[in-house]
Amino acid sequence: MNILFFDSGGKALPIVLKGRPIMGGRTRGRALVSKDPLSFLGGVDPETGRIIEKNHDLNGEKVGGAILCFPHGHGSTVGSYVLYSLVRRGIGPKAIVNEKADPVVVVGAVIADVPMVDGVDISKIRTGDLIEVNGDEGIVIILEERSSCT
Amino acid sequence: MYLSREEERVLNGEEGWAYQVAMRILVKLGDLFEADKLIPIESAHISGVSYKTIGDASIEFLEALGESGAKVKVRSTMNPAGIDYNHPEEMIRVPEIMEKQDRIINIYKSMGIETVLTCTPYYINKPKENTHLAWAESSTVVYANSILHSWTNREGGPSALAAALIGKTPNYGVHKPENRLAKVLVKVKPRLKSEAEHGALGAHVGKLLKDEIPCFSGLTHTRETELKHLGSAMASTGMTSIFYPDTSCPRISGELEVVSVDVNDLKNTFDSLSTTNESPDMVYIGCPHCSAEEVKRVALKIEGRRVRRDVKLWICTSRYVRKKAERYVGIIEAAGGKVLSDMCAVVTWLKEIGIDVLMTNSAKTAYYAPTMNRVETIFSSLDKCIEEACE
Repeated sequence: MNILFFDSGGKALPIVLKGRPIMGGRTRGRALVSKDPLSFLGGVDPETGRIIEKNHDLNGEKVGGAILCFPHGHGSTVGSYVLYSLVRRGIGPKAIVNEKADPVVVVGAVIADVPMVDGVDISKIRTGDLIEVNGDEGIVIILEERSSCT
Repeated sequence: MYLSREEERVLNGEEGWAYQVAMRILVKLGDLFEADKLIPIESAHISGVSYKTIGDASIEFLEALGESGAKVKVRSTMNPAGIDYNHPEEMIRVPEIMEKQDRIINIYKSMGIETVLTCTPYYINKPKENTHLAWAESSTVVYANSILHSWTNREGGPSALAAALIGKTPNYGVHKPENRLAKVLVKVKPRLKSEAEHGALGAHVGKLLKDEIPCFSGLTHTRETELKHLGSAMASTGMTSIFYPDTSCPRISGELEVVSVDVNDLKNTFDSLSTTNESPDMVYIGCPHCSAEEVKRVALKIEGRRVRRDVKLWICTSRYVRKKAERYVGIIEAAGGKVLSDMCAVVTWLKEIGIDVLMTNSAKTAYYAPTMNRVETIFSSLDKCIEEACE
């Protein structure tokens, strides 16, 4: 594996977080991290990819191109189709990292063909971190922390 | 999860893309919930039919599946849509919406799903006891498990569709007898009178229990209609997929956790399901879709009276029940009410047809309508609803 090493606040990078493989595939991108569960139906605008769920800590953020990290999904199973549609239109997340996968998001990741890992302590990841998701092995690697890339 | 050689073939795409995606959904869900294998199902019920709820997002995916020639392997039915094409005068009149709704129904139809658009498919075809199903639509699921004694997990639209295409579902959750045991005893102190009070009880208990399985003591009416309302409300506020109306049921060993419901609990929940004191623009009976018996009750109550000019009275049911209860439909329509089928109030465009205040005897509708339809609600019994609708 070819990983660049950064020094950030004394913490050794990369940090490898082990989880469970849900949907295969490997990708890198900036993390968009939430403490709140997310409903794709009604919570994400299918036209823009913007999070519109009320009182959500990512309200107003766009999921497009990000590696979306959130505890788990909730709400209607139609949410799976919304995730599919976002990805098809090129405004969906590049990968998904959950603490505990739920059926709505899993089915969405399957039909949209988006790498997904669960069982990861997402409190270790911060919005803006450069991370790699390996959906085949079920691991997430923090390559570069936000502070070091500003 | 174990897969047979045939199932492996489908997963590897040897039967084409659509079946591969369907199998992949089942395998991923099976792995997620630690299922040991796939089991055959008797039937499937698919949610995600109304254009209002599924929107443009799903049309692309469903169309791709449909165009690939995928067909269901077991008898499959679908949930209500957003339009009753036999009553266009009552519906939203936007050509684009009418066209897209029609397209969705036709995609499902092309896969071999029966165009029985109802959340009460069990009035038309009852599944056998102790058979496995893959049903979506939470009220339908709870009814199947609790009243018909069939076995189904709380499927979503996509997973029920995948199961229909494969004819199987992963063996986990309430497909296993050990996961069908009552864990909580709900002692109901007040004597419940109407279906609406059963709905309020369901809404209260659903919120308390989340996904734990309750049995009830103290229910005096254990008729189908009351239990249907109890279950559908419970499944709306909670994640329960099964309940037992009395204590003669399989239960966990040892003591059951006890929850008491007193008069105040019931009253508070009942009141919380109304958001206004204003008078309604629409009175709605039919969530879940009415049985022939419920249509008859409305007819007997309304016979010889007139629906107020400033109120719409909607009674929603399946085409099948509408036909079966034709005589009573005649009485309701003579009084100025509308008996609609293939759709329901929650999955249609209420605000857009001028509804601001909805009165209903359904705790499920009263729970969802303020957010899903952005209308105010008045929750009351069927008798009071009809009273309010009439001159």
